[in-house]
Amino acid sequence: MNRFKRTGSILGGAIAATLLIAGCATGTTSNTDNTPITLTLATFNKFGYSDSMLAQYHTLHPNVTVVQNIAATSQAAQDNMFAKLAAGSGLGDVEAVEVDWMPKLKQYPNLFVDLNTADTKTRWLDWKSAAATVNGKLIGAGTDIGPEAICYRSEPLVKAGLAGDPAGVAKLLTGDWNNYYTVGQQFAAKKTGTAWFDSAGATFQGLANQYSNFFEQNDGTVVATTNPDVKAAFTSVLTASSTNSAHLQEWSTDWNAGLANGAWATMLCPSWMLGVISGNGPKVTDWKIANVFPNGGGNWGGSYLTVPTQGKHTAAAKELALWLTAPAQQIAAFTTTGNYPSQVAAYTDPALTGAMNPYFNNAPIGQIFSDRAKAVKVTPYKGVKYAAIMQAVQDGLTRVESKKQTIDASWTQVVSDIKALG
Amino acid sequence: MTTSTFVVPERTRSRLAFRESLGRWDVRFSPYLFVSPFFILFALVGLFPLLYTGWVAVHQWDLLGGQGKWVGFDNFTFVLQQRQFWVAVRNTLSIFLVSAVPQLIFAIVIAAVLDSNLRNKTFWRMSVLVPFVVMPVAVALIFGSMFGERYGLVNRTLAHVGIAPILWHTDPFASHVAIATMVNFRWTGYNALILLAGMQAIPRDLYESAAIDGAGRINRFFRITIPQLRPTLIFVIITATIGGLQIFDEPRLYDQNGLGGENQQWMTMTIYLYKLGWTQLNFGRAAAVAWLLFVVIVAIGLVNLAITRRIASNEGPAN
Amino acid sequence: MTVLISGIRRRQAEARIAQRPGLLVYGLLSAILVASLFPFYWSFLIGSGNGGTLSDTNMSWWPGGNFLHNAAAVINNESVNFWKALTNSIIVSSVVSASVVFFSTLAGFAFAKGRFSGQKGMLLFVIGTMCVPTQLSVVPLFIAMSTFGWTGTLGAVIIPGLVTAFGVFWMTQYIAQALPDELVEAGRIDGASMFRTFWHIALPAARPAAAMLGLFTFIMTWTNFFWPFIVLNQSNPTLPVSLATLQANYFVDYSIVLAGVLLATVPLLVLFVFAGKQLVEGIMHGAVKG
Repeated sequence: MNRFKRTGSILGGAIAATLLIAGCATGTTSNTDNTPITLTLATFNKFGYSDSMLAQYHTLHPNVTVVQNIAATSQAAQDNMFAKLAAGSGLGDVEAVEVDWMPKLKQYPNLFVDLNTADTKTRWLDWKSAAATVNGKLIGAGTDIGPEAICYRSEPLVKAGLAGDPAGVAKLLTGDWNNYYTVGQQFAAKKTGTAWFDSAGATFQGLANQYSNFFEQNDGTVVATTNPDVKAAFTSVLTASSTNSAHLQEWSTDWNAGLANGAWATMLCPSWMLGVISGNGPKVTDWKIANVFPNGGGNWGGSYLTVPTQGKHTAAAKELALWLTAPAQQIAAFTTTGNYPSQVAAYTDPALTGAMNPYFNNAPIGQIFSDRAKAVKVTPYKGVKYAAIMQAVQDGLTRVESKKQTIDASWTQVVSDIKALG
Repeated sequence: MTTSTFVVPERTRSRLAFRESLGRWDVRFSPYLFVSPFFILFALVGLFPLLYTGWVAVHQWDLLGGQGKWVGFDNFTFVLQQRQFWVAVRNTLSIFLVSAVPQLIFAIVIAAVLDSNLRNKTFWRMSVLVPFVVMPVAVALIFGSMFGERYGLVNRTLAHVGIAPILWHTDPFASHVAIATMVNFRWTGYNALILLAGMQAIPRDLYESAAIDGAGRINRFFRITIPQLRPTLIFVIITATIGGLQIFDEPRLYDQNGLGGENQQWMTMTIYLYKLGWTQLNFGRAAAVAWLLFVVIVAIGLVNLAITRRIASNEGPAN
Repeated sequence: MTVLISGIRRRQAEARIAQRPGLLVYGLLSAILVASLFPFYWSFLIGSGNGGTLSDTNMSWWPGGNFLHNAAAVINNESVNFWKALTNSIIVSSVVSASVVFFSTLAGFAFAKGRFSGQKGMLLFVIGTMCVPTQLSVVPLFIAMSTFGWTGTLGAVIIPGLVTAFGVFWMTQYIAQALPDELVEAGRIDGASMFRTFWHIALPAARPAAAMLGLFTFIMTWTNFFWPFIVLNQSNPTLPVSLATLQANYFVDYSIVLAGVLLATVPLLVLFVFAGKQLVEGIMHGAVKG
């Protein structure tokens, strides 16, 4: 047995040594000549890059063939990316990244290529490119964004004596979050059998995205436990949710079924949520979109294309990433899958301005979401620990919603969980 | 022609001697040759990760940033002081007991039934393995949907009968039962077939002698089958223990977040490990949890071994 | 007289043992069968519906008409690469299960019937390796695979799976129990080498367990997701990896996903038909006793 153990550890050591040496060699060759190359484009969910679009790129750059790998979910793509960053190899030439995991990657800007060029400076909304910029280096080219409006069901609102048309609802909900909760209370008092919103957790997300330093300071210091705004938001959402909420945790199977059964009347609606609502509730007919959001505007979600430095054709990959995120291509993606462009030039394109969604009773989504996108004032700073802190807070909200703990007891546990992250 | 001595010519003698020593050589060394493919491959896929994880556990190590400074046992002491760690231990043991005990009993019963003289033996034997074929993603989808607290099939059926909805996600124990159901669904038939193979190796004349002595079916089962099954039982219990303390897919797919619930209701140690390593990117602490889990598994495995030996030997007739 | 009585009693005993089980037993087995098939039926129900069917609380228990349409959507989806994935899955699962059966039986024979120093320790070590959680070994294993240049190839999925500790442990325990020492000795006396003894005596005796190990390994390799997902990619996937792309969306149309899952399960069910015969024919009641 000793013989084998020793052999095993020598072998292990040899492997470790080899990879250490191999890992250091990250030299790339930029492709300025016309040798045929294949670029791998790794995405998840639905980015809207159809095969015809990739074929079009091949026509423009005959020596480049693009192969797309689609991961199942954002989580799977994240697991995959982190594993391969840790291993030092295996990533695609262009890797899609969701804004939620961008902060972790911003810790290691040396792992990504700078995507700044002369004409990218003004391509995107400020807050969009700011979230992917580290010390002046742009590591992610913005693809889509999630500007938020309020989606609502007209039948329960009308039944409760409130306005049912988009303009009326927009007027009703213009204001701050307290206004949203108060209208909700009026609605709940009428006992229509429907809740006002789906969950405290989802609503809290909308709130959190409106502060610039909600959980962390710009240098990464965690302030979530001491920032009075956080505790105030926590308490106010939960207080409102006791009467207003359907208590269904977002993305759970019960939540999906809740959509099918019309269990709530309003919800925060980033542009990508439209597909979720229509897909889960094909039989529900009264969903509409109001061009309003408490406190003006907010963004939830959105993605970027990055070019890892471990790739072999980084110059060509950069070209591809910038082409895919040009306004024209993003409009094409929008037409295919509804991914809302983050490029400023796209907002004047007729394909966007005239876009309508039949499921939502012909809501003019092009107009609505470009208004909402422009209403976004704040770029929330999201550091490395943001996602873990948000998870701890979300857990705390759910614990109160499921009546396991009181608000104070839950907050105490949230604080200790956040401290344990350090 | 000689009678008492058999004179072997020189050449034949040395050839015989050579063959003899070849034979002895064969007996001595071929076992090593036979087990070597496993160990060679294991050095790569088992030992290297094992040592790597050990190396990681004693450093501060960010998943993306790589190796940090040496911290000795700090990762271990940190983890051992976390509320979430002990909740994970509680959950792991609870889910293990709720799944393993019924599963084993059920598997033995099914194996005994399959061992009897059924018509269409092949059909019935294959039928118990059907759940094993269902892909985990489908199992998770179906059971996750069935156990939904508000709209799930189980609670709606209970409501028809007048029972209040059970909080399959919110209540820790209920969540353990639901997850154990998923695990048992997948693995009971598998273990039943292993036990069946063991039962088939029991010589039939033992049963015949007992039947001659007038022992009924149940009697024969407890007095012959179980004791004779001891090695297989030990095997099944050990593998079920090792596997059961490491379950990951079922708790991970039980809700949309995959982190074991908002109050860690069903967070097992492997999920806690995953949380530390992949969502908090703290590879060092995750590795520490992996080693602690290893210790737990070995400890419980030894306990189970002792228990099984006792039970299986007490059941037998006094020999 | 005594001989007559004991003969009668013997035949009575045989009859009692060979007695066909009653309705209760068949009832139990049928109940188990129904419970086992339920997920398939549910998958088929949803797979024959549309996107909203899974969330629909009033879902009818009768299948909709959409299954063929959904199945076609799965097969024709370019990202899914269905036929390539199917071929890859067959190759990977076959090679791995054949290898596991062979090497595990070989090692099991050595551990069970061999006599060499370090035997007990090595076996305990093999069992001990099963106690190591696999979630963390993904990173070092990936490092090792990329060092050898195997990432993206089927080798990265096949090679780590060629022998398993479970297989070695299982065959050791089975051979120890089912193969009497006398048979091994008889082979040795006849002058056979250890390998010939293995091939002609141990392997046939271990056939039922080997068949079962092969079947289990095949199924587990077929349904394995996490590691192939990390180490393979779209152009060279196995079935679970390619099916996962069907889940790519904020809103997942589970009717298509489940149609895909059912399609991916059909080959396993076909395997059942063949493996079943092997398992029953291979099992010899007391045949080893000779």
